[in-house]
Amino acid sequence: VQLIGVDAGGTFTDSVVATGDGHLAVGKALSTPGALAEGVLASLSDAADRLGVTVEAMLAGTDVLAHGTTVGLNALLTGTGATVGLLTTAGFESTLAIAKANKVHGLSEDELEAPTRWNKPALLVPRRLTRGVRERIDAHGAVLEEIDLDDVRRRVAELAAQGVNSLAVALLWSVANPTHERQVAEVARGMLPDIHLALSSELVPKIGEYERTSTVVVDAYVGPLVSSYLAHLEDRLRTLGFAGLFVLMRMGGGVLPVELARRMPVHTLHSGPVGGVAAASKLGAQLGHANIITTDVGGTSFDVGLVTGGDVLYSSKPMIERQALAIPVVDVTSIGTGGGSIAWIDSVLGALRVGPASAGALPGPACYGRGGARPTVTDAAVILGYVDRLGRQLALDADAAVAAVREQVAAPLGLDVFSAADGILHVACEQMRDLIRRTTIQRGHDPADFVLYAFGGAGPQYAGRYAADLGVAEVVVPALAAEFSAFGAAASELKTAIEQDIAPGDLHASLDRVNSLFTRLETAARQQLTTAEGRLTGRLRQPPAVSRTVGLRFYRQIHRIDIAAPSGPVDGAAADRMLDAFRNRYEQIVGRGTARHDTPVEVVTIGVEAVIPVPLVLPSSRPPGDAVPAGARRAWFAGETCSCPVYPWDSLGAGQEVKGPAFIESDQTTIVVYPGQTTRVDHLGNVRIGFA
Amino acid sequence: MSAPQVSPVIFEVVRHRLNNINEDAAATLKRVSGSQIAVEANDLNTVIMAPDGRVVACGRYVLVQVASMHLVVADLLDQYADNPGIAPGDQFITNDPYVATLHQPDVALAAPVFVGDELVAWCASVVHQSDVGGPTPGGITYGARSIFDEAIPMAPMKIVEGGRVRRDIEREYLIRSRTPELNALDLAGQIAANREAVSQVVGLCDRYGTGTLRAVLDRLLASGEQQLRARLRSLPDGTWRHVAYVLHHDIEAPPAEQDTVYDVRLTMTKLGDHLELDFSDSSDQAPGAVNSSRASLVNFAMAGLLIYLCNGLPWVPGGIWPVVDIVSRKGSVVDARWPAGIAMSTSSTGQAIRICVNACVARMLEGSPSSSRLLMASCQSAGGGACTISGVDDIGRPFATMTTDDITGGGGARLESDGADSSGFTTSPGAAVANVEVNESYLPIRYVLRRELADSGGPGVHRGGVGTVQLIAPHNIHQPINVLSFGQGLQHPCAIGVAGGEPGGQSGFAIMPLGRGRELLASPPAEGCPVPLPTPGMSMGAGEVQLLISQGGGGFADPLERDPGAVAADVTEGLVSPAAARRDYGVVVGTAEGGGAVHVADVEADVEASGALRRAMRVERLGGREPLPPLVASAEGGARTQGLRFSHAFELVPGEGATGLACRRCGCIICDAAANVYEHAVVRTVPVAGRAPFGLVYPGSEAFVLHHCYCPGCGLQFDVQIGRRDEPVLRAAEPVLGPVASDG
Repeated sequence: VQLIGVDAGGTFTDSVVATGDGHLAVGKALSTPGALAEGVLASLSDAADRLGVTVEAMLAGTDVLAHGTTVGLNALLTGTGATVGLLTTAGFESTLAIAKANKVHGLSEDELEAPTRWNKPALLVPRRLTRGVRERIDAHGAVLEEIDLDDVRRRVAELAAQGVNSLAVALLWSVANPTHERQVAEVARGMLPDIHLALSSELVPKIGEYERTSTVVVDAYVGPLVSSYLAHLEDRLRTLGFAGLFVLMRMGGGVLPVELARRMPVHTLHSGPVGGVAAASKLGAQLGHANIITTDVGGTSFDVGLVTGGDVLYSSKPMIERQALAIPVVDVTSIGTGGGSIAWIDSVLGALRVGPASAGALPGPACYGRGGARPTVTDAAVILGYVDRLGRQLALDADAAVAAVREQVAAPLGLDVFSAADGILHVACEQMRDLIRRTTIQRGHDPADFVLYAFGGAGPQYAGRYAADLGVAEVVVPALAAEFSAFGAAASELKTAIEQDIAPGDLHASLDRVNSLFTRLETAARQQLTTAEGRLTGRLRQPPAVSRTVGLRFYRQIHRIDIAAPSGPVDGAAADRMLDAFRNRYEQIVGRGTARHDTPVEVVTIGVEAVIPVPLVLPSSRPPGDAVPAGARRAWFAGETCSCPVYPWDSLGAGQEVKGPAFIESDQTTIVVYPGQTTRVDHLGNVRIGFA
Repeated sequence: MSAPQVSPVIFEVVRHRLNNINEDAAATLKRVSGSQIAVEANDLNTVIMAPDGRVVACGRYVLVQVASMHLVVADLLDQYADNPGIAPGDQFITNDPYVATLHQPDVALAAPVFVGDELVAWCASVVHQSDVGGPTPGGITYGARSIFDEAIPMAPMKIVEGGRVRRDIEREYLIRSRTPELNALDLAGQIAANREAVSQVVGLCDRYGTGTLRAVLDRLLASGEQQLRARLRSLPDGTWRHVAYVLHHDIEAPPAEQDTVYDVRLTMTKLGDHLELDFSDSSDQAPGAVNSSRASLVNFAMAGLLIYLCNGLPWVPGGIWPVVDIVSRKGSVVDARWPAGIAMSTSSTGQAIRICVNACVARMLEGSPSSSRLLMASCQSAGGGACTISGVDDIGRPFATMTTDDITGGGGARLESDGADSSGFTTSPGAAVANVEVNESYLPIRYVLRRELADSGGPGVHRGGVGTVQLIAPHNIHQPINVLSFGQGLQHPCAIGVAGGEPGGQSGFAIMPLGRGRELLASPPAEGCPVPLPTPGMSMGAGEVQLLISQGGGGFADPLERDPGAVAADVTEGLVSPAAARRDYGVVVGTAEGGGAVHVADVEADVEASGALRRAMRVERLGGREPLPPLVASAEGGARTQGLRFSHAFELVPGEGATGLACRRCGCIICDAAANVYEHAVVRTVPVAGRAPFGLVYPGSEAFVLHHCYCPGCGLQFDVQIGRRDEPVLRAAEPVLGPVASDG
């Protein structure tokens, strides 16, 4: 079985090829905004070169190609999505604009300090393209006002006349009774057969009209672009001889068959960070790590995700670019601290601050030599000797870094340039550490129960520093640290999930409804994977495994906990077992003695997940060895400069230990081994930093 | 400072940790509580304080709840140091507005942080509770004669002692409530949050030393003070005044005297780097729930300063104290004397206090070239739509809740942008309105509509954010639903504009037959629609509907100066009707007037017709006199750069002997700078009645007027005041002349 993962990030498009005989190859190419498929194909060609085959031969032998794309996210960021028309229940046309009166959610820290900058998220559908249709359904699904189809036709015609090329439909309580939405869809398809249509009862049957509306609108906004991009890319791949299954990274974990991704593009919106967490959970399963903190240092952000008990953590209120989403999204928390964060002196506080302003990629840090003059975190790392080039080629300008830090930080503080640079890293790493603490502690976890994974271009430079003092026992820098998201795509199983909210009620009293929903959702979930099954061959070809959950919570509480339901009809005894499981789990999460007996429990959600596993064969163990350093570099640690050995990562043998201060380098990554730390290379080539 | 030297790096590290610890506390509170009010509505906040209680870190949830948390600590230190003592692991609970909280439903829990036996800091949180007892579900008794007719507050009590929850105190607290299980959830959340924060602060001391913590807290407080003083020094000296009004309905008075209006009067004086807020001229206290305690006054005033004056500065409330004096008169409506009723202060007098601070600060900022970009007109205040509903649902379960539908009003306009539409209170950044579907899941109600309300944003060069209109009907009920409206902002607009911007649209509240409600919205009667003021004991039965209108935000500067293209865009988006484009902005849009239709195809401004209309409107403002032309044909207004900026509209120019006050638009010298400009301006006073949405007319509205103040030269509108009919125009801004601050 040969698998390929391709992740198109903002700067680079990475691919990882896992051949059936246990080889891993990586490819890299610059991303090509405006013609993203070119970057994907270039990256695949690079990987094929490394395998010594043609790209045609590589693709012909590939069973599954998994792709993470940001085409939808870019449309959101640049405001270049579709012209969307929105149909709502008449009287509720302002749901999206009111946005639950939220004016601060998702703002950056400096925006939060300035009330004059508090504004709603960008409206993806202007009010003039929002139309109410006459109809009304209540919380129990009862029709209070029949839908007026003539009215619907008029509204659709008005929107068509205004040039909409994508349509979102979100009627009140369609989650309890989808009939009216389906009638609207029928009318709309009849009138505008080629339009992208996002239906809330189909895409996101969840209670809460704001988040549901926002989700279908985002889907409709990115739909036409994502769909045509995927069609084009698939076409190119097929022309090159690819006959396997083409799947897309899903924000809620796993991968989606391309047909489904084109129908529900919102699921593919922001796959990069998710790929990293997915990869960590997969690698963690191999290494025996059930609890993982994932960390990724990029140019402009620091991302933290969690895996607990082997499961990826989902966000309870996902938001992308301030747009609320009601679909499952792997929880990745970010702060704007990255290599490009600018260091500055806050003269009133008498503090050395880092960020939130960033030099970004352009002009970038001073050491990039692209006209940046402000001192950044990366400049500090260059001054201290921790890194001397970017990627394979770009040499960094240490003099420019020194000049920026000396003038703007060292001199005003009366420090030498090394101490100033070290101060910058100290503050930046503390910010990262604070985010890790926040991510774990706020969810009721103790960092000491976790292993920390560090990846992305710059994560391995700083992990030895920000992971110290947290209580974590070990840091893992994965062998594919720089291409970890692409690896995550290749390593993900084929997955579809449907979650349906129901009007809250007693579980026992709701069993009929629960059982009939399970049957209906199971059929739907299986169906979603049918076409994909057809593309699978050999031992990959198997029917999906289906699992089911009920979402339970205490009356009038917010925290929903999903409890596994048995297959087959759920009876009273099974319901009792699930209620017990809920109370136990609740006490695990919230604290002992908190699940009060007198508080009623209600069922609020029915969930079904269908999964076809994709077996990834990791390369067999790396041979043991005892490589010698390929060179040495002078670097500054804790007050003095010393000469530190530099090891090429590839040369290190399994079991080999490297004591700090030292550097381990690959084409894309530098691991800084700090004084007093010892790293060990494991049998898969991962570098492990132990903390006593 | 005798504290140890802390390096810029360690200082920054500890500062960042403190903010994170405070955030962790809020997150822990929400996780453990899981209640709708805490998690969905975010009606909570957390703080970290210095050993004497000065607030150093505060969360960005409901600012008014914690701006003066030091009062709790001051009370504890003053009263309890010996008996019952303050020791490690203790936590104190109180909801006493005469000590520190806004009103009884806000429950505060404070915990000392000890390292060894040294008190090094305090942590605390506040969460709003759906019920804390008293005669009325939801905690607000409109007809209360005194606090003894309301929920009786708990003076601070030690509910956690040495780490152990005192079961006796816990029971004493929970037994008061109609919703003990919900209160218990939040209590558990608050205790856990304090424990988390205390243990992390102790950890910080273990790592860096208590001396370092002390030094960082001191430096944060000192620099907070220093930054505010620096900002004040950059602003002009002077005195600013504002009056806001509170309605109280006295159920026991004779029918003709039941509705009384109370004044909240602020005189704000700024000299150098000191600020005084003097509320002593406010009315005597009311015989009921609308009063504010001194603690509530301080909270609302401080939160107003944080939002409107400390914009862009780190929020260290404890650093504001040494800079600001808040003067009040015991026995007045803003500083009621025990045992006056006060449970409704947050939705009445508290809002009036916030608006007074907002208005005076905006007028002060107006005068500064560099800081005027910070000014903001008023956001909505709590209006008639703020209410509690209670009753029994179709399966016999009782319910009682304060609704959040009113938190959909508009934000205030800014120097450079419109106010945020339907965005709620600026002083409660994180507060949210619940989804219609979530409310319909739990309450026997059905929304007939909830949408943004065209023309409710206060007109101006930048418009205030629009508010909303909602119709809510009972659904599947066997008995009527009790509705208690807080009844504010019905007789007159509340959200004031600045620099000549108009106030935002006023509140609406009524219970009427469903058919009539629909008809009223579809075709408002031209002759007006008289509706009664809400009374205690109102209910809504089958076939009836509750009409609720949340206020729009105030506008910024003369609406006749707004870019006609922006007005046309608002018409296209349904935020301004074609009729109001003419009436409020003097803009003629190129479309047939469709009776305020919500959806109009893209429209454009007719530049020529609009120009003529605006000219005619200026002539009318000046009583038929020809207006002076603007100095430069600039859409921005404010063309002069010669004089010293006095406000958005005026500047100080050298005159014959004395400094003169000149219009920045037309250049005419209006009066001597020391004179009262309002006596030399053209003032047109109109009744407020005609401005209410859908022609609603409430009794008592005839007592209020809008004073439009114009430059006598060109008719530029430089101020709009809401006042009582029988009172003169307020001298809202009075500069201190002489060495006027200049920051170029």
